[in-house]
Amino acid sequence: MNLLWTKHKSTVAASAPVIGLILLAVLYIVVMQGDITPYNLNIIVNQLMITAVISTGAIFIFSIGAFDISLGAATAVSAMAGVLAFNASESLLVMFLVCLLVGVLISLFNSILAALLNLPVFVTTIAMLSVLNSVIEMLLGGQSKLSISSEAAASADTLLVKLSILILFFVICLFIFRYTPIGRQNKFLSANPVSAKQTGLSRSKLTIIAFAIAGIGIGLAAFLTIVRAPVLSKTTASSVGMDVLIALVFGGMPLSGGARSKISAALVGATSVVLLNQVLLALGFSSGVNQIAKGVLFLVVVFVASIGFRDKLLPR
Amino acid sequence: MSTNVLFEAVDICKRFDATVALDRVSLTVRRGEIRGLIGENGSGKSTLSSIIAGIQKAGSGSMTLNGQSYEPVNMIDALDKGVGMVVQERGTVSGITVAENITLGENSKYSRWGTINKKALYNQAEQALQGIGVTHIKASDPTDSIDMQDRKLIEIAKIMSRHPEMIIVDETTTVLSQYGREVIYGLMKEMKAHNKSVIFISHDLDELMQVCDSLTVLRDGVFIRNLEKPEFNEDTIKQLMVGREMTGSYYRDDYDGSYGEEVVLSLADGSKGDRLKQVSLSLHKGEILGIGGLSHCGMHTLGKALFGFEKLDSGIVEVAGGRRIRSEREAMELGVGYVSKDRDVEALSLQSSIKDNIVIAGLDHIKRPPFLILSKDEKKYAARLIEQLSVKCASMEQSVQSLSGGNKQKVVFAKWIGRGSDILILDCPTRGVDIGVKQAMYQLIYQLKSEGKSIIIISEELSELIGMSDRLLIMKDGRITGEFARSPQLSESDVISYMI
Repeated sequence: MNLLWTKHKSTVAASAPVIGLILLAVLYIVVMQGDITPYNLNIIVNQLMITAVISTGAIFIFSIGAFDISLGAATAVSAMAGVLAFNASESLLVMFLVCLLVGVLISLFNSILAALLNLPVFVTTIAMLSVLNSVIEMLLGGQSKLSISSEAAASADTLLVKLSILILFFVICLFIFRYTPIGRQNKFLSANPVSAKQTGLSRSKLTIIAFAIAGIGIGLAAFLTIVRAPVLSKTTASSVGMDVLIALVFGGMPLSGGARSKISAALVGATSVVLLNQVLLALGFSSGVNQIAKGVLFLVVVFVASIGFRDKLLPR
Repeated sequence: MSTNVLFEAVDICKRFDATVALDRVSLTVRRGEIRGLIGENGSGKSTLSSIIAGIQKAGSGSMTLNGQSYEPVNMIDALDKGVGMVVQERGTVSGITVAENITLGENSKYSRWGTINKKALYNQAEQALQGIGVTHIKASDPTDSIDMQDRKLIEIAKIMSRHPEMIIVDETTTVLSQYGREVIYGLMKEMKAHNKSVIFISHDLDELMQVCDSLTVLRDGVFIRNLEKPEFNEDTIKQLMVGREMTGSYYRDDYDGSYGEEVVLSLADGSKGDRLKQVSLSLHKGEILGIGGLSHCGMHTLGKALFGFEKLDSGIVEVAGGRRIRSEREAMELGVGYVSKDRDVEALSLQSSIKDNIVIAGLDHIKRPPFLILSKDEKKYAARLIEQLSVKCASMEQSVQSLSGGNKQKVVFAKWIGRGSDILILDCPTRGVDIGVKQAMYQLIYQLKSEGKSIIIISEELSELIGMSDRLLIMKDGRITGEFARSPQLSESDVISYMI
């Protein structure tokens, strides 16, 4: 039995995120007593889109062993810039492009600053979080809300548009991660930065590329945020950063990056987080208990995902 | 069981997934004995010693120490029970001081009301260092500022300060200079004199035959034979280790020493702090250039500087055609490869697979224009090199950390050979590598020379340098102090005075 466990625990650990997702899906069906309506599904899809899009881009950041604490604030600023652009131009396309541009610029600024100052990028994202929170205040301009009319957003508020954005972005990221040198180089960089440098990999270059891709995710998520709820306030996207972190861990993404980094973690994890939210809501938990439950599950998943790699010492 | 027996392991088995690392291996160590454990890379000697030292658990089997059941749960527990181990690779913790490393696991002894009594901590560490005859390392120094050899000495001091009944020395001498070796040999003799025991693992057969009272030979995870000192015979031991008769020359057997006229890599007036002082050298096409000296002579810094990994304070590194090397990336683009001395820390990503480690250096060769990387191309590329270098592994997806030292080194070679590097800088290329793999590597190096590649071998083993080099440079205190052409008359005594 012991031998069998030893032999298969890596496989079990690697499959844990998918097993967790299936269990959550089954649990959701059970607590909903099979009464899953199009309305319920719509809620799930809407929640899923934003977390999944940002998580997909953030995979590149995590895979180099970096971390961005300002994802939520960057999404909020990009969305507000998009709203202001729409109000000035009355064009959804302009709003979309401004969201993208601002998302990418914020992300690039983080990474280029880190490269120039030779600082860990995490440090610049902490500073950026503070700056972005001030920018949110400035963009609100003393008002409590920024908005566009729901009619204006309605043409983009369709399942087809939202799914297309997610699928297209995910497929492009999947291609970059799996079929270009970037994914492999990112994983190697975080697995051993010294060896990576000695193999000619540039940390600065890979960091800037990772943040640029994550910035596109932020911009897309900002657009989806406006489309989903066209009224923005100080609390817009405030929980996104934490949701993305939990999603990536639920999806089996190691927080330190490395060889086990995988892009599928974004979709698996984001879906798990959304299903978990729905299960907890259906069980009637308050938002406080909801947060505690997510925290506990977060630890359980990290533990299960790591057991396969705990005691592999160095036989020779 | 005889009362003279200090330690006994019976029928130890250990598996790593599909790989059988140890198959019912037994080992007896008597009091006052220095027992050598010998075998090719992957024979299971380090797995066995790590089980004895509490680093990992056996799958089955039993162990006794002083006649009592012995089942250490970790290294600290093993040390508390009287067994310490100096590991092959890095055995100190980064980010803390020398004193904290030496007293690791004993912090409670020096803490009061949540604060650490640093004076007592440093005193204890100084005493531990002095106990093994080391006075040049300060207890308050950060461990990261200390080189590999001194870190090993810190590790030894840590273990010896606990007065173990038995120590395991796992291929430690390969990273030590003569001074470090003298320290460890002295300690082993002292252990023996005090009726304590030592398990000594080394690939240096001469060293083992000189130091050990007995030898246990392992091959492919299986016990082969015990040999007592009167039975020691180099050829017999080699044959027992590899399971066949070793044929052909160990090093190259020609004394031609010729190479092309074209200079393919040069350094002009290279200086770096007090480690390199206005060093100039040229490497020619088809040349094997040896660089030797004591560990701190600057040769390792020189190797890194030639590859662009270490920035020079002054001086120019350039390849044929005058193109300069200022970074690793430039060096790689200009066909230069570098095998680091510090394999586990600098050359490999241990958690990554064999395939990933090999492929990462060759992505620009594998990719289909403009940037497409296909899994089948990667696998083909890695499989070819695994085959070419005979890397012993269950699969190319196996993580590098599960490989033996020699096979890890083959993976590092594969990285650079796969790229078709025309110039190879090999820093201690056979460190921690068994004689079978060593011979294969020497043959490979010579074959590369025959193909017109140019090779720099940096090594602390003079026999290796004399045996392989067309031309040998000796360094001392950051300067080149001697140059020797290949010759059958050249001996270690000819060059040693230029090193010391």
